[in-house]
Amino acid sequence: MSTFGAAAANHNPNKSFEVAQPPSDSVSSLSFSPKANFLIATSWDNQVRCWEISRNGTAVASTPKASITHDQPVLCSTWKDDGMTVFSGGCDKQVKMWPLLSGGQPMTVAMHDAPIKEVAWIPEMNLLATGSWDKTLKYWDTRQSNPVHTQQLPDRCYALTVKYPLMVVGTADRNLIIFNLQNPQNEYKRVTSPLKYQTRCVAAFPDQQGFLVGSIEGRVGVHHLDDGQQGKNFTFKCHRDGSEIYSVNSLNFHPIHHTFATAGSDGAFNFWDKDSKQRLKIPIS
Amino acid sequence: MHNKKEACRNFQRGSCQYGERCKFLHVIQQQPKSNAFGFGTQAISHQQQKPNPFGFGVQNNAQSKGVNDFGNKQSQFKNTWTRSSASSGAPSLRQPDNQPQATNHRCNDPESCKRIIAEDFEHERPLWKLTCYSHWKNSPCDIVGDVSYEELRAAAYDDAKRGLSLQSIIERERNLLNSKLVEFENFLRNPYRGPAGSAAAQQIPFPGATTTVLSPTTQNTVAPQSNVPPSVSSFSQLGASLNTGFSPGPSVFSANNVPSANAFSFGNQQPNQSVVASFPTNMANFSNSSATNPAINQFSAAAISTQNFSSSSIQSPAFLNVSLSNSEVVGREATNVQLGNNLPTTVASGDSNIWLKEKWTPGEIPEEAPPDAYV
Repeated sequence: MSTFGAAAANHNPNKSFEVAQPPSDSVSSLSFSPKANFLIATSWDNQVRCWEISRNGTAVASTPKASITHDQPVLCSTWKDDGMTVFSGGCDKQVKMWPLLSGGQPMTVAMHDAPIKEVAWIPEMNLLATGSWDKTLKYWDTRQSNPVHTQQLPDRCYALTVKYPLMVVGTADRNLIIFNLQNPQNEYKRVTSPLKYQTRCVAAFPDQQGFLVGSIEGRVGVHHLDDGQQGKNFTFKCHRDGSEIYSVNSLNFHPIHHTFATAGSDGAFNFWDKDSKQRLKIPIS
Repeated sequence: MHNKKEACRNFQRGSCQYGERCKFLHVIQQQPKSNAFGFGTQAISHQQQKPNPFGFGVQNNAQSKGVNDFGNKQSQFKNTWTRSSASSGAPSLRQPDNQPQATNHRCNDPESCKRIIAEDFEHERPLWKLTCYSHWKNSPCDIVGDVSYEELRAAAYDDAKRGLSLQSIIERERNLLNSKLVEFENFLRNPYRGPAGSAAAQQIPFPGATTTVLSPTTQNTVAPQSNVPPSVSSFSQLGASLNTGFSPGPSVFSANNVPSANAFSFGNQQPNQSVVASFPTNMANFSNSSATNPAINQFSAAAISTQNFSSSSIQSPAFLNVSLSNSEVVGREATNVQLGNNLPTTVASGDSNIWLKEKWTPGEIPEEAPPDAYV
């Protein structure tokens, strides 16, 4: 573990702003509040930390606000839509609900039999969805200790994305299960990944017409749900360097422009437009 | 740049290689004829909001365009904002890989499928090796047994907490990696052993829920060979043969009563030639293994260490107990070390002198940890 981050030659090539008091181990997830400039980071050092990010003219400032501790590495986080509460889950097989803006203490609201890899808050249902390596997806009403529904998955949950009513779960062995959250007890469709290797991340289109899937082989697949639109599906390669093939770790859509960003293990991030099938280039400012 | 009259068609399609030097105007979609690739129609369909939120689909559809050249290397921006490795890696949105949606690929042409597999393994091996694989998109996996980064890391952290030494953790991970690499090798050599179902037998038991075929430590010591016949029964038989004298522990062994055959003649199914044939190839994967004997040496030493932690780390999700820097997992060569995930916990009948031996021959390797007296 000490061999990691034996500091890269230049760990900040774009001269990005770095937050104060960063985690002491790898960061597993990041989540900005939907209502304010609060950033949550979960880490392999078992902590969930919160900073307030503010602007000082052109400069950016971060103020550490609060943090909570899990018993084991934390893998995922999400904010509730009211911007008051944070959910975090991880290797301790629990999800903690932390009403941090009201100064409350964290409470365990979800449990699985294996580490929880993904968590998502679904405001339209007022439920928390959790995906775990125990091959289940569970829906939780935070006021009850038992899940509202347990959904069996074909394999361990590796990725989750929700764009109500579309939800896509990526599991081990390249399964992608699509749910209509208006009927969450049935799988809407089960698809085998268009990519050839392990699924790493998924992202639903903002217009719910389909989703992106990223794998460890430096490739992203664009998949449409409607049968008539299957012709628009395609895959593209990215995050490769010569013969080195890195994995695509994260996919995120811009909420307005519907372009998306990919982040890879090669240490780079790119922006793409799936409709014009281009990589976007940013002019130097 | 201002004395051009016509719009550049390539640019509108998204890839003009001349960039600023181009003779034609780089404007976006000002001429109607830019939809040669159906991009225009896509834009239209984009607006049509799905009537019912879960109709999940627009009624009409664009003529799909197959291979389009995207990958706009020279846009009008002079971009150097990306990190250098990324820009050289280039925006390869080309090669979109648009095979028709053959949802039920049936390998009608095994030769071409074999070629695909060979090419994939040649050019498209990702850095992370502990993965499933399918040679055809949308088809079920040919090789199963996914292990994700987080799973491996979580297991390593778990073990470290429990007090395992870094070395033993690393050895375990190496072994897992080895068996996976061998699995890929074998698949390449013989992709059609049977339906994907039998491939499932090859699952690395990383998540406890999958089969425990590869579990016993001793089996994995002969991992290179034992992976050659990728059927469950051969592993079990091998395990059983190594297990003479031990009461069968996990279910893997339960079905087998193969007599204590020579440990390396695994399984009745495969002729020994397959062993020989595969061995040299497998050598490539192992740094020190040039012959059987060194392999044994290594694992005999390692066996001790694995015994120590395997017994303490048995739990139902049989996580791997290795922490390994990513670079190692990523496919460096490794020594022949066992995995020993789901070791039977039953104690052998009592040849405790085994613990005093310097070197173990296959067939007598104990399954469980040494009693404290010998540690």
